[in-house]
Amino acid sequence: MSNIYQPDLMTITKIIQEAPGIKTFHLKFQDENVASNFSFQTGQFGEYSAFGAGESTFCIASSPTRPDHIECCFREVGKVTTALANLTEGDTIGFRGPYGNTFPLDDWRGKNLIFIGGGIALPPLRSVIWNCLDLREQDGRFGHISIVYGARSVQDLVYKREIEEWNQMENVTMVKTVDPGGETDDWDGHIGFVPHVLENDFKPDPENTVAIVCGPPIMIKFTFEALERLGFKQEQMVTTLENRMKCGLGKCGRCNIGSTYVCIDGPVFTATELAALPQEF
Amino acid sequence: MKTATLNKSDLGKCIDLLVQADLRVIAPRLQPRLDEDGPDAIDVLTFTEVDSGEGHQVGEGLLPLNGVKEFLFAKHEPLFAYEKRGKKIEIIPVHHEYPQTVIIGVRPCDAASIASLESVFSDANAGFEDPFFTERRSRTTFITYSCTAPDASCFCTSVNLSPDSAKGSDLHLTEIGDGRLHVEVISKAGEAVAKQLQDLLEGEGDQAAREKAGAEVSEKLTRIRDSAPIMDWLMDTANFDDEMWQRLGEKCIGCGACTFACPTCHCFDIVDENKGSKGYRVKFWDSCQFDHFTLHASGHNPRDWQYKRYRNRFNCKFKIYPEKFETPGCVGCGRCIRACPVNLDITEYMAEVAHKAANPSAMKADQDSE
Repeated sequence: MSNIYQPDLMTITKIIQEAPGIKTFHLKFQDENVASNFSFQTGQFGEYSAFGAGESTFCIASSPTRPDHIECCFREVGKVTTALANLTEGDTIGFRGPYGNTFPLDDWRGKNLIFIGGGIALPPLRSVIWNCLDLREQDGRFGHISIVYGARSVQDLVYKREIEEWNQMENVTMVKTVDPGGETDDWDGHIGFVPHVLENDFKPDPENTVAIVCGPPIMIKFTFEALERLGFKQEQMVTTLENRMKCGLGKCGRCNIGSTYVCIDGPVFTATELAALPQEF
Repeated sequence: MKTATLNKSDLGKCIDLLVQADLRVIAPRLQPRLDEDGPDAIDVLTFTEVDSGEGHQVGEGLLPLNGVKEFLFAKHEPLFAYEKRGKKIEIIPVHHEYPQTVIIGVRPCDAASIASLESVFSDANAGFEDPFFTERRSRTTFITYSCTAPDASCFCTSVNLSPDSAKGSDLHLTEIGDGRLHVEVISKAGEAVAKQLQDLLEGEGDQAAREKAGAEVSEKLTRIRDSAPIMDWLMDTANFDDEMWQRLGEKCIGCGACTFACPTCHCFDIVDENKGSKGYRVKFWDSCQFDHFTLHASGHNPRDWQYKRYRNRFNCKFKIYPEKFETPGCVGCGRCIRACPVNLDITEYMAEVAHKAANPSAMKADQDSE
């Protein structure tokens, strides 16, 4: 009898403190059979457990083009994330997944891509950003890649070293911003909320372009509105939702928006799909 | 379909025979609730495991308080155990018993709910099978019993069922007068159980008497609603923001009683119950009526008002179940109406929707003038 609720065990091989209260884990499966049979696609998520505290839902923050290990990135907010944050390198966690649908990379061939994220919402985008950068490197399948990322303050930016790496890349436009008051003396990015900077400073051309947005629901809403004013159509806008989940298997009844279960039918949705749902997310 | 008759007075003997056949038998009995020995003890009709036919209440009363849900989808059950050893974790499977079980005296509404739960927990739902549910389901046989005395909260005939429906049944019993029961073998599992009872079964049933009895009881239902237009009305996302949700849902206190009483509610939580270095990961009943149910880590809550949580419950019954799981979400048992401490009434929503669906322009004019 196979138990869908039983996680596989993973070792934390590396911990990175990304920002205050935010950590990245590098994870490797302890069982070699599980490791060799595991695969995922960008956009998918998992249930990560700290034994004794329970499970939390995070996206897989690394790219499937870099299969050496998987990564997750989380903020310490509740019981489980605090227990996870208290673990050290070499410790064991549980993982169930991958679950959910994926970013539609095949639909994006030949197109320019703009990734737009806020705060702790960069991890899901970071998976698909590296996925697209690596695939473009291989066969040039995507056009120009832009990244618009903001956080409350400079210290709250996650993946700071990778933001610099993307900034240095010739065929990537990196637009970084912090909320007013969150800047430091040597801050060289924008100051302002992500949707505002996107619309008034960056002003992307919608022609042959897809915008991939991730952030809290209010940011998704304002960013979609800004994109529409810039001339983007709903089918050019994609997002990933982070509804509360327990099972990830379409059974526990928590993540649904109407009859759409985010864990099974999502987490990736186009703006067209979201507009057709009851507005409750 | 094979039929027979059975003396109602032999129901206790039926239970004895099933117990003697080494089956686990669940039957309705009067069980004390609250303080078992104290002055507040009250006897409540409850499905419980029995070791003989003594004191059984099959066919008596109306609905056992607990329904059959908890015998398939446990209120609380360990999924596995774990033990921490330094930096390592060992996962230890838990040994659950899945005895061959017969539940006798199941009312038609409860029996109809089994297919609904199955549509959520079986692998027909997204390819993920909850083995705890399906193992129990595959070893459980349902002996159903047509209702004789529906109460004012019953509304099965408003959701395409009837007090004598055999949906979800394996072996179906209907009173046909003179202390006789009409017995119908509905499934293979029911046939196996009928074999155990063959010494008590006689000749052939009386189909005409059975149908007459069923029709007479259907006439007794007083709570009649038109559920036919509900799904289409809910499918129109404009109605998601209808004024009705807030108006009717305002008095809901979010206690969750309706969801725990409901035979089709399937929501659950998963937590770790830990002691020292050992513990269990446990799955247990949860409720979409609780305010933290959908609360995000960020503090954002998609269902931030109680009326939205009840709106979700109503949508789950009349849209999500039929649309996503293709099974009925409401079987009209009336438990949520009886259990509600503030008299929130699901059939009041049904009546409102039917009225709004029948008078769309009038309703719209009302809202425009507000």
